[in-house]
Amino acid sequence: MSQDKTGRRRRSSSLIYTEPPETIEQLSDQSALPNLNAEWVNAKGAWTIHIVLIICLKIFYDIIPGVSQETSWTLTNISYMFGSYLMFHWVQGVPFDFNAGAYDNLNMWEQIDNGDQYTPAKKFLLSVPIILFLLSTHYTHYDLTYFTINFLAVLGVVIPKLPSRGCAGDMGVCVAK
Amino acid sequence: MDIHDAHVYLLRFLNELSTQFQRVPGSAIFLRYVKASYQNDPVRSAVELFLLLFFVRYLLAPKYSTQKQNYVQLSDEEIDELVDDWTPEPLVAPQTAFEEAENEKHPVIVGPTGPKSKLANGRTVMNLASYNFYNFLANEMLKEKAIQTLRTYGVGPCGPPGFYGTQDVHVKTEADIAAFLGAPACIIYAQAFSTISSVIPAFSKRGDIIIADKAVNYAIRKGIQISRSAVRWYEHNDIEDLERVLIKTTKEQARKPLTRRFIVTEGIFENVGDIVDLPKIVRDKFTIELKLRYKFRLILDETWSFGVLGRSGRGVTEQQNVDAAEVDFLVGSLAGPLCAGGGFCAGSDEIVEHQRISASAYTYSAALPAMLATTASETLGMLQSNPDILTQLRENTKAMRAQLDPRSDWVVCASAVENPIMLLVLKPEVVASRGLSAEEHDRLLQDVVDETLANGVLITRTKRMPQPLHAGPKEIGWQLQPALKVCITTGLSRKEIEKAGITIRHAITRIMTRKR
Repeated sequence: MSQDKTGRRRRSSSLIYTEPPETIEQLSDQSALPNLNAEWVNAKGAWTIHIVLIICLKIFYDIIPGVSQETSWTLTNISYMFGSYLMFHWVQGVPFDFNAGAYDNLNMWEQIDNGDQYTPAKKFLLSVPIILFLLSTHYTHYDLTYFTINFLAVLGVVIPKLPSRGCAGDMGVCVAK
Repeated sequence: MDIHDAHVYLLRFLNELSTQFQRVPGSAIFLRYVKASYQNDPVRSAVELFLLLFFVRYLLAPKYSTQKQNYVQLSDEEIDELVDDWTPEPLVAPQTAFEEAENEKHPVIVGPTGPKSKLANGRTVMNLASYNFYNFLANEMLKEKAIQTLRTYGVGPCGPPGFYGTQDVHVKTEADIAAFLGAPACIIYAQAFSTISSVIPAFSKRGDIIIADKAVNYAIRKGIQISRSAVRWYEHNDIEDLERVLIKTTKEQARKPLTRRFIVTEGIFENVGDIVDLPKIVRDKFTIELKLRYKFRLILDETWSFGVLGRSGRGVTEQQNVDAAEVDFLVGSLAGPLCAGGGFCAGSDEIVEHQRISASAYTYSAALPAMLATTASETLGMLQSNPDILTQLRENTKAMRAQLDPRSDWVVCASAVENPIMLLVLKPEVVASRGLSAEEHDRLLQDVVDETLANGVLITRTKRMPQPLHAGPKEIGWQLQPALKVCITTGLSRKEIEKAGITIRHAITRIMTRKR
């Protein structure tokens, strides 16, 4: 009922922020209904769509006149990383009112598979940006500037996906954004 | 030579390894990729290699759950043993000696209740334990109307209001209440208790803020709990403290995303009996002005004040000259003073329409039986056309109070003068001098109730609020003071009320002065 004393507040002194354990009410509201917001990542075609989207992005940047192959690959890489960061790590909660706001403190990545780590979906979602990064560095011919940009972009989505075994009973850890 | 042999062997082994590697399909591409990617830049290559290694490690890691899993692994025999050993706890705790005695002594009324009720033991007593303020129970006209409605509509609509449950009488009752209060719209519920406890969660959700009086009744507490909102309490009926909490909350929320914010309070407090200072919140410092200044919405539970306060029973808004439209959610009961059943919430059109699809008690339970709806409409009409009965009730309340409050050495009346439910509490010095524990306190009051009944007057006492399971001291918070509950009715003459008052006062004195 009263959440004002549970201390859900970030401390600026620490880079790593540990989610406080969720209350019983929170957990029981979460389990009241299946989480339709996160379940689709295990659905048919949910993996293919990543590849399709990347190909579409690449074609889109290719047809813009005056864009070199290097820039096109880098733009594709950055767009995908930015989009997936927004979707999996920035937006919190569920857009529909299924669980009375019980997921308001969790982003999509933390909701997937009820917070379990190293599940097939999570492994896939981590491998897509890494492979895309390796491809784009290869096709930008290992130019140091492009490499730096692409590498920073991939770090941006890989670091928030890291699991932490340190804190028991949490929905994973979220390194300061 | 040993070293020479080893060297030859190693070379041969490496050779073998590279031919094997070349046989693997795609190895040429891999080699080309590695050669191409090295590009005389060891640092960058090392970074890429590290990323690759991390990736491989991630792919190979086993799945684990982050939910708490502190189960002990048990064998089948151990599980069987534990199941055999297990004896279920009773669903209900065994009765204490006090509860047992109390349950045995419960008076049972035979036949219809009324100002004078016949008990199972054959005695007729004055009934001051029912919310029968205007003695509508004995009204033949109401009874006749109810029977007529029963013949036309049947007993219950057998469906939720949104699903074939709404009948023309419900629409009429809603319009009647809205017109009576001067509110734009109104919605009726099938149960008084669940009205407020579903109005609150229909609007206030997780992340929203509720500021509530510490002494609010159990139904409101349940509503707040179901809403999952953050709740802040202010001292009972203390406008200064309310303002302090409002300022504090507004400050805290200034930089956060906008949430819905509510003030929840009662018209007549069920647990204490006093009246909210609505104009204080309205006129110069009072609640409505406060709510406007700090941008809060006001949820007012008029369960005990609707049909009681004001010149014609419109409730606390009429008594204190506040426009009912200034109260965002005006929740009331049709079950108490109106002698019908169910509850209502009056407010703007938007507020009412929102509840028709999102208030759980409205959408998920069967609609109010038609005869209760017509009875509510009829009694409302009687209050309007005949405001004398309110005056008469107040006269009777005053007469009873005169017998008890200043005259008794032991109790004071905590209720407001206009409240026909008189809550008699022991004077603080009496409680302090005797050092009463909670249980002794209850027992003492129960003895007074029994003694009063023995002298022909039926009264009751307040029961403690049930506590949430595993509640810590912080959740328990405010506790109501045990009290005797005397409900005044116009069904008894002034003389009879005075006589009953004397009986109650003497019973209190006898119990308090008896030798222990």
